Amino acid sequence: MIKYITILFVGMLVINGQVMAAEDAESTDHDAHSGHDMDHGDHMMDDSDHSGHDMDHSDHSGHDMGHGDDHGMAHGDDHMMDDHSDHSMMHPGEDGHASHHGDGHHHMDDSHIMDHEGGMIMGQNFDKLPSSCDSISEEVEITVRAGREYANKFPGTMYAFDEQQWHVKPCAKVTWHFVNEDDIRHQFMMHGLPRYMYQNGMFHLEVTGPRTISGTLIVPATDETYLVHCDISQHMEKGMKAQLVVGNGGEDIPSIPGLTPYAFPDTYLHEDLPQVSNEDDDDSLLTQVDEFVTDNTPFSLIALFGVLIGLLSVPLILKLFSFRKNKVEAE
Amino acid sequence: MPTHFLIAVLACFFFSATVVAQTSLKLPETIKVVPEALTSEPVCDPIIAASWRDAQEIDGVKIRESRRCNPDNPALIAAVVKGTNNISMATLMETDLSADTIIKEDDIDGDGDPDRITIKLEVMELNGPSPDFEGLIPTFDIAPGIQPGLWVFAPKTRGMSTENFESVRANSLLRLPSPVIRVEVGDTVRLVLENSHYLPHTIHLHGVDHPYAGHGHDGGDGVPQTSESFLLPGGQRVYEFTPRQAGTMLYHCHVQTHTHLAMGLVGMIIVEENRPNNWLQTLNVGAGHVRHPSVAIQEEFDHEYDLHYHAMDKELHEIIQKYNDPRLIARDMNRLYDITDSTEDYYVLNGLSFPYTLRESLIIVEPDQKVKLRVANTASEMLAMHTHGHKATITHYDGIEHNPIAQITRDVYALAAAQRLDLTLNTTDDGLHSYGEGIWLFHDHREKGITNNGMNPGGNVSAIVYKSYLDDIGLPKSQGIDISKYFTEEFHQRKLPVWQDLDASGSLGAAAGQSAPIIDPATRITLIDFIFGLVAGLMLYMLFARREQTKQAMLQVVSKLKGSKGNKAND
Repeated sequence: MIKYITILFVGMLVINGQVMAAEDAESTDHDAHSGHDMDHGDHMMDDSDHSGHDMDHSDHSGHDMGHGDDHGMAHGDDHMMDDHSDHSMMHPGEDGHASHHGDGHHHMDDSHIMDHEGGMIMGQNFDKLPSSCDSISEEVEITVRAGREYANKFPGTMYAFDEQQWHVKPCAKVTWHFVNEDDIRHQFMMHGLPRYMYQNGMFHLEVTGPRTISGTLIVPATDETYLVHCDISQHMEKGMKAQLVVGNGGEDIPSIPGLTPYAFPDTYLHEDLPQVSNEDDDDSLLTQVDEFVTDNTPFSLIALFGVLIGLLSVPLILKLFSFRKNKVEAE
Repeated sequence: MPTHFLIAVLACFFFSATVVAQTSLKLPETIKVVPEALTSEPVCDPIIAASWRDAQEIDGVKIRESRRCNPDNPALIAAVVKGTNNISMATLMETDLSADTIIKEDDIDGDGDPDRITIKLEVMELNGPSPDFEGLIPTFDIAPGIQPGLWVFAPKTRGMSTENFESVRANSLLRLPSPVIRVEVGDTVRLVLENSHYLPHTIHLHGVDHPYAGHGHDGGDGVPQTSESFLLPGGQRVYEFTPRQAGTMLYHCHVQTHTHLAMGLVGMIIVEENRPNNWLQTLNVGAGHVRHPSVAIQEEFDHEYDLHYHAMDKELHEIIQKYNDPRLIARDMNRLYDITDSTEDYYVLNGLSFPYTLRESLIIVEPDQKVKLRVANTASEMLAMHTHGHKATITHYDGIEHNPIAQITRDVYALAAAQRLDLTLNTTDDGLHSYGEGIWLFHDHREKGITNNGMNPGGNVSAIVYKSYLDDIGLPKSQGIDISKYFTEEFHQRKLPVWQDLDASGSLGAAAGQSAPIIDPATRITLIDFIFGLVAGLMLYMLFARREQTKQAMLQVVSKLKGSKGNKAND
């Protein structure tokens, strides 16, 4: 929790400082980045033959396919290819950075991939090792499903991922298959990655459902817990929040449904809502007896039951007291 | 004994009397609030590049000059005119639009412009709560520090809801009002609603020719009790229509309309006349100046402005900030909030209240021009819009042209709830249409409409400003008072004495608290009480310690009385 709030607020100052400091370094980084982008491109091409991702398509057969062929896989999809060449998918790095309004809104768009249906992959990394890693420890593929349906098991939420926590080894290369099952946009957004290789420390998949998008990253060697969320207004707040635990992990992220408590929970008051009365439910003998007693005496059956227990326990209490008395006398 | 007591009481009164006498010799000083003590912001937001104001051409789209302080992003205008499917990636990246927000294709009638238009809208919450911290996210201020919870239809966005990951401010597309939509007569429009919110919503096209019910899962009239079901969170619905009549209309959510419309789920939709090569500015985000007007408007007018008036009851807008759980929000919205007991507190023009209206909603004119104003009132009460220095002509009511020879020229324009008026503002200095150049206010003449929750100036005040009265950052060159104090949070929190700088002596500034320098009233009362208590305590102690003496004294007194009585009786 402290970590998250730090990222958002206290960290602002520190981060600003870092941005300033990193600004110079970034200009050199950029060349590396754009070269890296080309690698992405190549990978995209390669992956078009990758049969492993075809499963995404069949995953969708259960969903409303009203959008037909328009919604294939993002990964290795033809749309992606076309757009890649048509629109020169990469943001024009340096030029874009020095955009005339200079407010820094859009610099996060550098070095990422976007298709014409709004599918986005950002901060993807297939082969750049974090400085803390000597080699890749494991290669894992994780499928993350997102949608309203997964919020059903958490009352008081509206959107959720199918899992709230994932574990990987330090220096793992993780390929995420993000399956958005709703008919709206969702995001799989990670924060807090090393900023020298992930812009703004972010890894981000975004897609309008029902559709799947895949992306790969390599996690650093340190034991850490990363926030994973959907940044669309109120989606994280209403349940679409999870964490990625690398190694033994760091501090837990707060207010993850079913996992960690809310920092600022709501107050729930009892509401006097109309209910079906018990009158019809008279098949139980106990209820009948209770009703009879209640109707004909000023006491309820439960009260009589209490009296009975009280009377029975009198000798026991007396015995207990006398025992103590004896003990005192003995002393 | 009684003498002690008397002395103490007298001392007490003497003391307090001195205090009063001292303070009434001179009235308190005037206290001045210094600018350094205020949370202020620049009058014109410095993040806007000056070049945004210039006339320019992007990807073949001509964009008009817009001299105001916060002009619309030219790249955004280019993208919505060409469609996100036709615009260059570089231009798209200068906006927060998704790549599929506006799809323009198929010139069905062969007149040089696309006729199959897909517009994707999401439902976004602004100034909402978080279970992680006490603040709001993503934030949108209607005036400095004023952040009512809002729901808006927003153009489909990409990436984060905030400006960037270090900021809690909403990105440039997430704002009040819901965007103005422009379509052409005869277009096949597919308005796609992606319900990204946590409550159900729909779209009702108010005044725009549309089918009662859509085909299959498509939307129709937008009324969940009649033509269609609720569009639940996570769902998507297409509203397809081909408008046959031009005019200024509305679109709004028809789920629990009494609260959802007021929350901000309402915008203007304008059907433009069909003309060849009519590439429309499909969205006017934030309403206001239209920087790429339609062919029909260009034929007749020099400028076009969209003016969307709205009002809010702050108690309604606080509900979504009180809870995180959607069930509790639904409970308060649907069952506890009583609109019949509501009062309006905030009055916005194009989503902002004064002083922010100065940044965005100025009508900038030159002499001898004809300006088209499309005005909509989506508040729940009547609007009495008034223009200083000008009498405009009402040409259309609710999108229908009024008989030209019966058209009315006046200076107060009444708009019932949900009503639209098209006005022609003529800046010819003839003593009737215009009184000449200047900075002429236009505002609601129900006086509460020119306040922010009762603080004046505020509300929907803006101005018609002649270009010669505009400075180079798009602000009116006023000869009046310094307006920077309105750009502070303290002014809107009622903590800034508005008139402290009227003259050098601050004759109408804030008076200091009366006895604060010597002894404040609360302390004085405490002190007096304490002295009384002390005296009473001492007396009781004396009575007890010298009880024998007291007893004797009492007996003596009694016997004396008895004696005198006896004597008297004996006499």
